[in-house]
Amino acid sequence: MLCVLIALFSLVPLVFVAIMTANAGVDTIVALVFRPRVGELLVNTVALVAITVPLCVLCGVGGAWLVERTRLRGHKIWAVLLAAPLAIPAFVNSYAWVSAVPSLGGVAGGVLISTLSYFPLVYIPVAAVLGRMDPALEQTGQSLGLGPWRVFFRVTFPQLRLAIAGGALLVSLHLLSEYGAFAMIQFDTFTTAIYDQFRSTFNGAAANMLAGVLVVLCLVLLLLEERSRGTARYAKVGSGAQSGPVRLRLGWYQGPAQLGLAALTVLAIGVPMWHVVRWLIFGGVAVWERDPLLTALLQTLGYGLAGALATTLLAFPLAYQVVRHPGRTSRLLEGANYISSSMPGIVVALALVTITVHGLPAIYQTSIVLVAAYALLFMPRALVNLRAGLAQAPKELDEAAQALGKPPLLAFVKVTLRLTAPAAAGGAALVFLGIVNELTATLLLSPNGTNTLATEFWSLSSEIDYAGAAPYALLMILLSAPMTYLLFAQSKKAAGQ
Amino acid sequence: MTRSSRSTITPRPDRSARRILTPAVSDVADHLRVRGVRKAFGSTSVLAGVDLAVAQGRSTAIVGPSGSGKTTLLRLIAGFESPDSGTIALGGETVAGGGTWVPAHKRSVGYVAQDGALFPHLTVGQNVAFGLPERGRAAAARVAELLEMVSMDPQYAKRRPHQLSGGQQQRVALARALARRPGLMLLDEPFSALDAGLRVATRRAVAKTLTDAGVTTILVTHDQAEALSFADQVAVMRDGRLAQIGSPFVVYTRPTDRATAEFLGDAVILEAWMEGSLALCSLGGIPVRRPPAQGKVHLMLRPEQIRIAGDGPIRGTVVDTDYFGPETTVRLKLEPIAVDPLHPADPHQPVGGEVITIRHWNAMLARPGTQLCLKVVGEAVAFPWE
Repeated sequence: MLCVLIALFSLVPLVFVAIMTANAGVDTIVALVFRPRVGELLVNTVALVAITVPLCVLCGVGGAWLVERTRLRGHKIWAVLLAAPLAIPAFVNSYAWVSAVPSLGGVAGGVLISTLSYFPLVYIPVAAVLGRMDPALEQTGQSLGLGPWRVFFRVTFPQLRLAIAGGALLVSLHLLSEYGAFAMIQFDTFTTAIYDQFRSTFNGAAANMLAGVLVVLCLVLLLLEERSRGTARYAKVGSGAQSGPVRLRLGWYQGPAQLGLAALTVLAIGVPMWHVVRWLIFGGVAVWERDPLLTALLQTLGYGLAGALATTLLAFPLAYQVVRHPGRTSRLLEGANYISSSMPGIVVALALVTITVHGLPAIYQTSIVLVAAYALLFMPRALVNLRAGLAQAPKELDEAAQALGKPPLLAFVKVTLRLTAPAAAGGAALVFLGIVNELTATLLLSPNGTNTLATEFWSLSSEIDYAGAAPYALLMILLSAPMTYLLFAQSKKAAGQ
Repeated sequence: MTRSSRSTITPRPDRSARRILTPAVSDVADHLRVRGVRKAFGSTSVLAGVDLAVAQGRSTAIVGPSGSGKTTLLRLIAGFESPDSGTIALGGETVAGGGTWVPAHKRSVGYVAQDGALFPHLTVGQNVAFGLPERGRAAAARVAELLEMVSMDPQYAKRRPHQLSGGQQQRVALARALARRPGLMLLDEPFSALDAGLRVATRRAVAKTLTDAGVTTILVTHDQAEALSFADQVAVMRDGRLAQIGSPFVVYTRPTDRATAEFLGDAVILEAWMEGSLALCSLGGIPVRRPPAQGKVHLMLRPEQIRIAGDGPIRGTVVDTDYFGPETTVRLKLEPIAVDPLHPADPHQPVGGEVITIRHWNAMLARPGTQLCLKVVGEAVAFPWE
């Protein structure tokens, strides 16, 4: 019952868009959706996705293969460096690149920044799968007469399909929902247009209809990913120990490989870090002495902790239902959560603004609504971790505790909760990371006088006070770094390394 | 049939005498009594009316193929599930059914799961102490005592479960279950995850510990050899029912139906003609105790009842053999029985020519094509012709 309520709560944004569309009437929809402006946004957004996703797959898979499957020198360091760009929020990356190349803009600018920010979303899962893959499969390919290239394309690559599809979906959803990075270089996508529309007309039908188109795009992506997964079985068939991965000799390619990875790292980490540092030096001590800095840091920490706690508490009943009572209901609940959490932050924010203004004015523009938005946006991060954690605490252990004389509730606390705690903490940390770097929903929903690191950074850099914004950028990167490492380590662990 | 089943023919002088002589129905007060228990999950009926009584201090093995409902029965007794109908009583007190429900933690029932289910976040000592009311030094002393009871060095108390071998994990799980001095111990295939050598050793150690402690024990297993060697009483489960309950010797040598016979070990099944208490078949006239029918029947003999003997009256030719080291499985084609041309063929008379499988220790005797003389030892079991 509780689970159904939580799943219904997570469907709020989607239902909101559906109701808004239904209420608008056909004429309004046609007038608002079929116009040149929407066409332009659609071309921009589709071009962005169509170019960036393949580039991310190329960088992610190439990097993962070099790091996991070849005798690349320093592969342990490269493994971490390739995941590191995730610690730099895309809008900070954009800010650095605009500082470096002031003329940056258009589709090319959007593609450059988003590829550099998001390729780790493909790299991390693919590297995890490559590291875990049984080398016997590739060796069998070789023994059947395939050369190294054909082994890669006919044996290895198909095994990566799930990881690549999942990573590509994440990248595309990020592209659809990103606001700051594209607004900074004045590249218009649906999200930036909805934001501008909202700022100028507040809660107008135009913003809602744009959100409707954006939601449809998201659903199309989910469907595409579902299709590309296929139904084949990718897990290893049969049991038995497997040997460690075999690394390919790079020979003459060692140099080009090192150069390529170095170039990618310089563009994705070097440029943003260098410009943040440059602005810090330029700003000197003065930028650190401004009052809002400490307030923003404390408020960010406060919202991060509250949001992480709320999200974990909401996700726990769902995860418990899915793991302990698998079945059609569970799959439905999980599916509802999965779809709703792919909704861009701007849609979630728009939904919550409208609902609170009309239905619950008492909580309009309070921190409750903001925390609710965070829970809606980041629940899957907590859910995935809790599921894995609950799987480590099978029902049998609970029963063993009961057979040893512990009442059911005590047995649950002493065994299941205790065993799930590390996973819950891991999930909460990832939610925290998401909240620290969240900009769109926070801009729309935060109560008056509330400023997080992200929103303060945003208002300063919008006023072209790049030096003043630099400390906020640095703090966000510093807060994100340990969480990014945690995510990286977790992916390795999930793959059993 | 699995190779492990062959261990059942080795006599075990230490316990078998007591087990064989113990009648299945005893006058000792029943510790556990299950009556008419039914259980269905959704539309699938898992238990279709089970009756079982286990005497105080005795051990019972519930054996059956996977999916026969034996684990469900154990979980009902433990209190992890409740029966749809029927009652379960422990020590004369109803714990489930008839409007009564006693939850698992109040039943004084020990439970050892298939993989031991040790708590991974606790040390061995903390695992064993989990159900103990004592704390501190008293608990530590009891833990050491319990570990010794399962033949483990108390030094192991500081280790983590994942640092133990599978057999050690099972013994720790047993020590943990023994800690609260339960009257009834439930073992859910606790040895099946262990490899063959360890399985036998762990099974013996566990059986000895439980017998010494005088705990009533129920073992669930799909391995008939394990069931026969472990328990005082064997209950054969099939399709949610108990097909037969009795001492290991009785269920093995006098199974009530053909399916039970074939489940509990290799069986030679021959067509026979029953007259009085004598069955006529290709192996001659064989005595049958309490024949269920007269006329045409199926006759069941255990392979070890058919011996190779120089003076044996029956002849057969070796078809092929499987060599297992200490013994050899020999497939023999029995000689067709010549029909006397002066007398009309007797429809009751067997015609011979069946292929049967027996066991022998000497591989050299049984080369394909060799003719051997056979004799039958003991009684056979007859099943009505269907």
